[in-house]
Amino acid sequence: MNEEKYIGFESYINNEMPQEEKIIFEEQLQNDSQFKESFELYKETTQFLSTKFSSETLSFKENLKEISKNHFAEKATSKPRVISFKPWQYSIAASVVLFVGVLFFMQNGTPQYSDYNNHETAVFVERSNAEESLKNAQDFFNAKEYGKAVASFKNIKDISSEEIQYFYAISLIETNDYLQGELFLNMIKSGNSIYKDKATWNLALSKLKQKQYTECKVYLKQIPADAEDYDKAQELLNDLE
Amino acid sequence: MKEVQVHQDQQYIDGLLQNNSSVIQSIYKKFAPKVIYFIRNNSGDYDDAQDVIQEVLVTVYNQAKTNGLQLTCPFDAYFFLLCKRRWLNELKKTSNKQVTITDDNVSTDENVQEMTFQTEIFDEKQSLFDEMFRKLGEKCQEVLKLSFVTKTMEEVAEKLNVTYGYVRKKKSLCTGQLTEMIQQSNRFKSVKQ
Repeated sequence: MNEEKYIGFESYINNEMPQEEKIIFEEQLQNDSQFKESFELYKETTQFLSTKFSSETLSFKENLKEISKNHFAEKATSKPRVISFKPWQYSIAASVVLFVGVLFFMQNGTPQYSDYNNHETAVFVERSNAEESLKNAQDFFNAKEYGKAVASFKNIKDISSEEIQYFYAISLIETNDYLQGELFLNMIKSGNSIYKDKATWNLALSKLKQKQYTECKVYLKQIPADAEDYDKAQELLNDLE
Repeated sequence: MKEVQVHQDQQYIDGLLQNNSSVIQSIYKKFAPKVIYFIRNNSGDYDDAQDVIQEVLVTVYNQAKTNGLQLTCPFDAYFFLLCKRRWLNELKKTSNKQVTITDDNVSTDENVQEMTFQTEIFDEKQSLFDEMFRKLGEKCQEVLKLSFVTKTMEEVAEKLNVTYGYVRKKKSLCTGQLTEMIQQSNRFKSVKQ
């Protein structure tokens, strides 16, 4: 193997070659087609490795996987081998009913956590052979039995997925374990998954539940206009001000 | 010289490159149904469609990130043709599946074919690079991986507990070795442009 050649390639690419050497190098690139070909492949290999190991590529793949899973979870409802769950439309209808009800009973003008804690349905398990704790966590969560959900979440072997962390965090906040719940949410919020903005919204709700209105507003203001919860966030912000 | 006209759908490529969730979601919303329909009508199911779409989007992302990708045709046609051809290849590999190809009126626009061809070549090349990388020695793999995930070569040297000079040299030689393995492979000839 021609060691000198590759060391030269590397320092040329990194622009670390002394001026005189650089002139000779570029001359050889022009006149020696084999040398040039070898250099081009070296450059291409470097670019390939740089894409392969870039942290951006890794987070793109993670994010894509998440989005793909969610997209196909909706499709899969028509398949018999899938455990059925309520479509999200139902939860909106339910939340409207609940919201009207809550408005009726509200004693004063200060918004409450219970006005807003209509969480979406968790759908981790698509096949019946999935991990039991995961299925339990999902079912207890959807049944709003958050204490039992937390116990099941604790038994899940791998909670590295942001989706699981997100629903775990909500269950923790529902059971007043704010510290742990907010820790998860903050991790998701600083990441790049589709739960990013939802995490911010739930951080605001956690603060609302603890009646820490100033902190709540700080989080609400961080929710971007294209986020799903933007309208609710604006509404809550108005009520708090 | 003919000026390359970049199509307005370049926004989808840029969105993938920026890992923009709302762009990626809109790709699924707008373009996935047609692919799913095609695959389900050609011996596949939802899971197959999910895999094919995900693999194609990763390839497009990789090409855009590695070489830059300028779309000269509608994203819809380009994306569909890539998915379709990937699925047909998949069927060929597992030939025990009954293949019943339904003909569709996909635009055979020259630009679309050319874009698709470029991406397939890139994909071939990438899988060759990957294959050869796995054949490198363990030490080389480690040094190369670290030198691209770590910010500076000084940090790489520190992590590996060796000198900066050693790590620089090792990186050059390992990359060089990888290029030689690629060059000597039979597959290289078919993807060389």
